[in-house]
Amino acid sequence: MSQLLEYLLTGAGIGAGFALVGSGLVVIYRVTHVVNFAQGAFAVIAALLTSTLLASGLPHGAAELVAVAAAAATGLLVGIVAIGKPGTSPRAALIVTLGLGVFAYAVEVLIWGDQPRSFPGLAGSVTVAGARVPTHYLLVIGVTLPVFALLAVFFARTDLGKALSACADNRYAARVVGINVTRMGLLSFGLGGALGGLAGVLVTPVQQVTFDSDVTLIVNGFAAAVLGGLTRPAVTLAGGLGLGVAQTVIAGYGGGAYQLELALGLMLAVMVIQAARTPAAQQEAMPG
Amino acid sequence: MRRRLLVAAAAGVVLALPPLLSSGHLAVFTLLGLAATVTVGLSLLMGYAGQVSLGQASFYAIGAYTAGLLSTHGVPTLAALAVAPVVAALFATVVGVSLLRLRGHHLAFATLATQLILLSLLARGEWAGGAIGLQGIPRLSIGGYELVDDIGYAYLAWAVLGLTVVVTANVMASRPGRGLRALATSEVAAAASGVPVGRYRLAVFALSAAFAGLAGGVYAFYLGYLAPGSFPILLSIEYVVMAVVGGLGTVWGAVAGATTVILLVQLLTTIGTQPGMPSYAPSVLSYAVYAIVLVLVVLFLPRGIVPSAHSHLSLKKER
Repeated sequence: MSQLLEYLLTGAGIGAGFALVGSGLVVIYRVTHVVNFAQGAFAVIAALLTSTLLASGLPHGAAELVAVAAAAATGLLVGIVAIGKPGTSPRAALIVTLGLGVFAYAVEVLIWGDQPRSFPGLAGSVTVAGARVPTHYLLVIGVTLPVFALLAVFFARTDLGKALSACADNRYAARVVGINVTRMGLLSFGLGGALGGLAGVLVTPVQQVTFDSDVTLIVNGFAAAVLGGLTRPAVTLAGGLGLGVAQTVIAGYGGGAYQLELALGLMLAVMVIQAARTPAAQQEAMPG
Repeated sequence: MRRRLLVAAAAGVVLALPPLLSSGHLAVFTLLGLAATVTVGLSLLMGYAGQVSLGQASFYAIGAYTAGLLSTHGVPTLAALAVAPVVAALFATVVGVSLLRLRGHHLAFATLATQLILLSLLARGEWAGGAIGLQGIPRLSIGGYELVDDIGYAYLAWAVLGLTVVVTANVMASRPGRGLRALATSEVAAAASGVPVGRYRLAVFALSAAFAGLAGGVYAFYLGYLAPGSFPILLSIEYVVMAVVGGLGTVWGAVAGATTVILLVQLLTTIGTQPGMPSYAPSVLSYAVYAIVLVLVVLFLPRGIVPSAHSHLSLKKER
């Protein structure tokens, strides 16, 4: 029993990371209808930057904050290139973010080389009801849950959050009431960058990063987010946690090698079922 | 008439070039032929079926592994090469039946996921040589004549590209081709006019996979060694860059796109490997060039090089 609890908590820790990457995708997609392929790069850049800052003597906490801020700035830059030019369609913007993700490879290899990097997180482990769980996993969960709560409050209660949600619901109507849709889009890219960066700095101590870790990160994040149609943060959190737990439980009970296949197969199944429920005409009307 | 002359001139250049190239340049020339073959199929898929595939390298890998595995198990090499595109197309058909219900970014992620699964299975499969790879693939022999020299593979790669171009041009000129072009503008309108949308999309997907599979088969015999690491996600992205740069849905655009991108990367690699340059320079430069070329073309030449140049030239003539 405590064995299962251990898998559940570790899985939730891993899944929280997926959910954070996914939440960045959701925040950007809601407002701009762009699926941001550079989302994994935000996490990688923040993680690599943190490792450098820590090595140069900056204390924990400060290093992570600087890295998340840098990821937010990166997000803003990606947003400017992807949606800054008037008339860029969401599909074109998707290809642009794909290109920017590859450009991030160039920058990352130039600055940090192509070897895997990591840095220590919270050491030790905690015993919860007889289950030994590394403390760092609890930290990841402990940060992720409040972040999602803050996101929910932000979108539902603040003027800025409401303006962002207005762009998501109806861009035309949002423009009519005086909301600058492009500026909101850039803001969402900045926020998405910060969320991606947060995922990167939290996950790296338990999982090394290399410059091309972004593919796995974004695929898992997308798998978490796609359950809620890329628009619902709460479903993304549930999806991420579920995915993480499923992977850990399956790995724990013998199918260790096949956890990636499982996650991807699950994602494919969800998408195919969703598509089967939506008529083609409606899908064509949807941008992207 | 002018078009025929141009094609004949291009064919002449391709035939004359290989003996003049150094061995390093010959390798680039061969790989260019193979990359262009894959890109023609992807351009067809993206341009006419309107689908972004981020897993095109998986069909290339399937073709390569099919040819490699069959020939190391005693099947005649030419037969193994012929089976490679068939297996790739079959795989695409099986996968496509469910995946092609998806649109846009969903399909992009689905194809990406398919390739990740395939790579993971190949890396784990003992039968495929695992992560170390499949070694000892024999050279291709055609009617008792064994293709040993690199120059033979250069001609073979470009012959395969020629075949792909001819097939594509004929498909597009046919009745299904017209249906595909209707499909590209509006799926609903095409369906309303009686185009069997689902079947055509699946057929294009399978055809593009067959092209990639054939190119992969040649690649297997050319290198004689295959590993999952030879078919990264980045390779799929490179094909997308080539297709987008050249211009989606145009055969010559795909060839021009592949040529432009590969020559640019080659040029930068030459600069990057100059004495005094750091060891990471070639990879940094090639990532940067893929990214910058892709972003610039999408933002400023959204139709790609060939269609843009074409309409520019015909405008000039009218004046």
